[in-house]
Formats: sequence, structure tokens, C-alpha cells
Amino acid sequence: AVVSTQSTGVDSRPDLSGVSSCERLTAAGIPCSYVYINSSTYIMKKVTKVMLAADALLANGYVLGPVGTAMMGLIANTYNKPVIVCCETYKFCERVQTDSILYNELADPDSMLKTLNAEESPVAGWRESPNTRLVNLVYDTTPPALVSIVITEIAELPCSSAPVVLRRGAVKM
Amino acid sequence: SSGINAEYGGMDDYVAEFERKRKNSKDTPVAILAIHVLNDFVSKSNVGTLQQLLEQLKELSRQLKATAGSSTTSVASGCDLFVRFITLSRGQNAPSSEIDILECKGFDPVRKFLVDRGNLFMKRLKDSRRKIAQLAYPFISDGVTVLTVNMSRVVLEILMKAHEKAKKFKVLVTESEEGPLMVKKLNDQGIQATLILDASIGFVMERVSFVLVGAVGVVENGGLINKLGTYPVAVMARSLNKPFYVAVESFKFYRNYPLSQLDLPNDAKYENAEDTKHPEVDFTPPKYINKLFTDLGVLTPSAVSDELIKLYI
Repeated sequence: AVVSTQSTGVDSRPDLSGVSSCERLTAAGIPCSYVYINSSTYIMKKVTKVMLAADALLANGYVLGPVGTAMMGLIANTYNKPVIVCCETYKFCERVQTDSILYNELADPDSMLKTLNAEESPVAGWRESPNTRLVNLVYDTTPPALVSIVITEIAELPCSSAPVVLRRGAVKM
Repeated sequence: SSGINAEYGGMDDYVAEFERKRKNSKDTPVAILAIHVLNDFVSKSNVGTLQQLLEQLKELSRQLKATAGSSTTSVASGCDLFVRFITLSRGQNAPSSEIDILECKGFDPVRKFLVDRGNLFMKRLKDSRRKIAQLAYPFISDGVTVLTVNMSRVVLEILMKAHEKAKKFKVLVTESEEGPLMVKKLNDQGIQATLILDASIGFVMERVSFVLVGAVGVVENGGLINKLGTYPVAVMARSLNKPFYVAVESFKFYRNYPLSQLDLPNDAKYENAEDTKHPEVDFTPPKYINKLFTDLGVLTPSAVSDELIKLYI
């Protein structure tokens, strides 16, 4: 069946990994709009569903995703749009975490110095200044209440049922 | 395709039997009648392999579902669960009297196993409403006002049980389609029941202690499919902090995951394909539901998916 869809890719600095996704979608023939995460409240009104990827699904149902995921989940909920998290079962993890500070990773801070125009960033000399630090967080956690459905390769489940899959997986093995 | 039908042979007889049962027993849920028919089919079938039997069961379920009208979801879920249940063999952990379904020579011991499982399933089904009433009636204490939507035989059984235990309570029933029938049945039992307009739920909600409704189906995320008008009641109840309870048998757990009202399949929403102006049912998201009284126990909406996962994965 051919369903007509339009998609909007939301991207954030410094990785700008959304660019390649948009390129692949348009190559496949799906019209794709590209926005920065700053304008997500603007486009959220026009969107019907929000799809997010996850890096891990924790045992308490929290979704560990690339930084910005929690923000999209929160905005989608405010506008009453369903949030779909796509995650394979090998990403289900026994760890428990309720916030993004307990465990996180830092990526290269210098990548934050890249500006959209060719000018030098005002914080380029951050290493010399004692008061300035650049923090490039990699992950954030999204609470299960904000997620409508988690789609895995074996089932669709509500976010709070992640521990059940872990239990069943352990029994099978 | 006529070749395939020839194999399936007397399936039309079973569909006719299903229609006959529906006419004769208005009190029994349609899904239970469908499962009766499937159980009959298993015991009388003369196939030689399990695969063949499962294919035939799937075909028969599909035909029963097609004639089920507004009970499509419960028939679909009931038939699905029946097939799941009879083929679920415990294997190594089984008591020595149970056979290991994989180790049999010939199909007859397997057929006997399936028939026994089918009868066990039927027995558990018959008991489901009674079990639910047993679990739910303690929630009705003296002096409560219960709000219910439309006619529900499960809710009726719960209220009758509470009345039997000499609790004094009042019931408000929304008019919906069969509200007057519910009021009559309650009054006949000596329970004080009042019919209210659907438009007046806002007006009465402050006086209500809790809302108790039945279900056409319960979906994977614990959400509720019930007669049109249930969703506004749930939202109203949440808005005034009144508990919203659902009484549902476990065979109504439906393998579907709607994200919005329009995600419900068309055959669940409309009685017949031509009359698609007004849907018969609406979908209540799980966040509005406090507890579900089922024959598997008192569950929260998130526990429903746990139960479904246990059955299907």
C-alpha cells in the first residue's frame, strides 16, 4: 500500500546527523522538511506523529536517546501528538536511570565551536578562560509517560512494559 | 479458491451453528459462543496435522468474526486467545500425566490434548464473570454512587454481587443505546438505579464516587474500547479526580495498539460497512483508567500489556 507521507526532520548541533536522514528520505521519494530543534514548537502543531530513535531502553521504562529526544517527547506531549520510539530488543538494558546526569557521556567540546557562518565562535578561547566550560552531552533520558508506543522487532509495547521483555528474553535464553 | 473451500468442508455448518447460538442465548457474550464453536470444531475435526488444524481454525475464526457485527473485536481476541491457549504446551515442566505435544507419534494424542486444553479454557471462561464479580464487589462500599455507561453484563454481575452482600449503593446509568435496559435489570434486582442523559455527565460527576464500565475490548496499552460516549466520561472523571474502573474478561484483550480514535479498525467502529456515519465505539487512552477488574486479577493498564506479552511472545 502506498501511503502519502511527509516528514519533518528535526536536527540539532553540533552533529547535524539529521542531514543524512533527510537526504535518504528525499532520495526515497518522501518529501522531507528540515528544521533545527529550536523551531520544534513551531512545527509541532502541523505534525501528526513523532518518531524517535533510542540508544537504549532502561529497565524502569526510561528511554536513553541522543540529547534532544526528551525535549521532543515533552513538546509532542504538550501538543498531544503520539510519540513512537523505535528500538530493537538488543538495546533493552537492565540499568535503571531517572535523569540524564546520573550517567552520561561527553563528546568533543571543540565541535561546539563550529558556527553556521564562517565567523570564529566567541568562546573559541574557552580553555584559557577559568570561568567558561563547554559541555557536549551525548545522551538524555525520556520518561515512559511521554512515550505512546515502543516498536521493537518482536512486538509493539507501551514503554512501561520494557522490563517484561527483559524478563521474557532471559527466560527464552 | 473453491479448492480451498472444499477442503474446509462443513465450515458453513459451524458458522450457521454460531448464528443459531447467538439468536438463542442473548445473555452469553458473543465471543464465548464463538469459542464454543471453535472448541466443537477441534473435537470433531478429522485432519492429520497440527498445521492444517491451525489453518482451519484461523479460517473459521475469520468467518465468525465477519458475521459478528459490533462484537468483532471480542470475537477476534477470543478466538485468537483460544488457539493460543490450546497450543501452549508446558513440555518438560508438565506433570507426568500430561503429554509433551512435540513427542507424540500420530495426531490422535495431540488432538486429545487440544480438546482437553479447549475444555479447560471453556471452563475458565464460564467462570470469568463470577471471578470478576468476586474481585470487584469489595470496591463498592455503603453509600457510594456508581456511574456506569450503557448496558454491561459484567458490571451488572458485580453490582448484583454487591447487592447480595447487603451493600447500600446507588447507580447512575447513562442513556447511550441500552441504558434503559440496564436500569430495568438493576431495578428488577432491587438496586436503586437512575437513567441519566449522556449530556448530563458533567452535571452529575461531582456526586459520583467512582465510574465502573464494561468493555468491548481492551487493547495492548491497556486502553479501552467501549460504547461511544465512554471517553468523555473518562476525561470528565479524571478532571474531577474520580476513579475510573473497567470490568473486563481476559478474552477481550485485543492485539491492537491504537494511538488515536481513528486508529481503530473499521470493522470495530461500525456495525456494517455501509453505515459509516457514526462509530459504535470510542477509544479511551490508558492514562484515564485507574484499574481493570479481570479474571486474571485486578490490573493496572500497564499490566495488561504484560499479560498479553506472556500470552503471545
